[in-house]
Amino acid sequence: MRQLAFLLYMIVFHTGFASGQKDIYQVTGGTIRFHSDAPLEMIKAASKNLIGAVHVSKRTFLFRISIASFQGFNSPRQKEHFNENYMESDLFPLAAYSGKIIEDVDFTKDGEYNIRAKGKLTIHGVERQRIIKCHIVCKDGTISVQSDFIVLLADHNIKIPRIVSDKLSPEINVSVNLVLVQKPSS
Amino acid sequence: MNVKVLLLFILSVALCLPCAYGQVQDTAFGNNADLEKILDQQHPVKGSPGYYTSATFKATRIINGHSIENIGTGVLDFRIAHRFGQLNEGIKNLYGLDNAITKFSFDYGIADWLMIGVGRSSFEKEYDGYAKVKLMRQTVNGRHPLSISYLGSISARTMDVVNIPGFKYYLSNRLFYVNQLLIARKFNQHLSLQLMPTYIHYNLVASEAEPNDVFAIGAGGRLKLSKRIALTGEYYYTIPGHKLSGYSNSISLGADIETGGHVFQIFFTSSAGISERVFIGQTKGDVTKGDIHLGFNISRVFTIVRPKEFRDGKP
Repeated sequence: MRQLAFLLYMIVFHTGFASGQKDIYQVTGGTIRFHSDAPLEMIKAASKNLIGAVHVSKRTFLFRISIASFQGFNSPRQKEHFNENYMESDLFPLAAYSGKIIEDVDFTKDGEYNIRAKGKLTIHGVERQRIIKCHIVCKDGTISVQSDFIVLLADHNIKIPRIVSDKLSPEINVSVNLVLVQKPSS
Repeated sequence: MNVKVLLLFILSVALCLPCAYGQVQDTAFGNNADLEKILDQQHPVKGSPGYYTSATFKATRIINGHSIENIGTGVLDFRIAHRFGQLNEGIKNLYGLDNAITKFSFDYGIADWLMIGVGRSSFEKEYDGYAKVKLMRQTVNGRHPLSISYLGSISARTMDVVNIPGFKYYLSNRLFYVNQLLIARKFNQHLSLQLMPTYIHYNLVASEAEPNDVFAIGAGGRLKLSKRIALTGEYYYTIPGHKLSGYSNSISLGADIETGGHVFQIFFTSSAGISERVFIGQTKGDVTKGDIHLGFNISRVFTIVRPKEFRDGKP
């Protein structure tokens, strides 16, 4: 019995150690926008269907967004093509960014920081190691993140048919705004 | 020390090791298992009710008949359909290319669940109007395994087909009513299938012995070969005892080719007529004798009212 209790204690202790709940901040609101600025057409879309979490002491992060949730575009058909032909959202329903923050920043202190996030960016099922600069504002236990970066379609195996080469830019500008708050201890 | 306790201790340390090792590995490679677990518990992004299966078919028609797809809200679709003559007409008529039945039509999406259309076909100078209503939509998470739509259509034949002296042509003698259920499922990226139970009422038929009501069951599908090309097929089986005599079942095989903004459909079909009452109930040709028509549908879409969602490219 005592041995069992010991074992139980070990399991609880170790798993508890692995995920310190109060260190985890979660996304409560966020928007990802992108636009393609091509000679003949400007395409814009955005989604608020963003989830994510940051472990502030390990400085690790993970963000996910549903591809099919992007809205905007210039027509319903364009949105369908985005999902069907380019992003193949049936096969790859999510885009994700997962990794670690390079700078040693104490997120629990109020202040503004410019940091670099290093990790793998997964879009269209293709992983790329990326370092992305972010501007962070920590205030009263919330972390606001703002970041602009570029995604190259070729990096993620998204091909541009010749017929739309004037309408779709090979460089997509992405802009992220999100707010994280400490996860309530459960 | 008790051997059992020692063993337990070793075991627990051994259990911890991969855990600790895993953590180091995780962060180095951006594999945040603990954070992943938290996100997985949150609202599963894929399972939200809004995620309807998209693009079960490429176009609003499979070949002759309607598919489960509707045109987008506020979008006008101008369609031109051609059915050439029969392949067995030989080189004299250039395998049927000398003759063609044409249909022009305008389709409009009123809401994402409702589209209407009007058209005019050169076969017996027929005008038609229809409404297609989405009743159920297949969802990505599998809650709704099928998409179901209803199609109701009325058409009027303006050509006089009865040549009896003194026959009075009332408008009612020219009308046909088509009711169809479209039941479709997108099985995967490549394969979509659809069933079409159909009921057609002919106000005027050739003789008293003929039924005014024709029942048929259609089956259609598409096989997507690449991002731009899909094979399509469609067959309508008219129920014996509830069909007009002297007509055969409609069979069609074709391809959908996506060209930038629109879909080009090219196919071989046993039906010359383009409205539902003709190709489902009154297909004349016999495929086995080479009564096959080359046909195509082209469409051009115009955005009339840009839905709020798409205005200024901002949600």
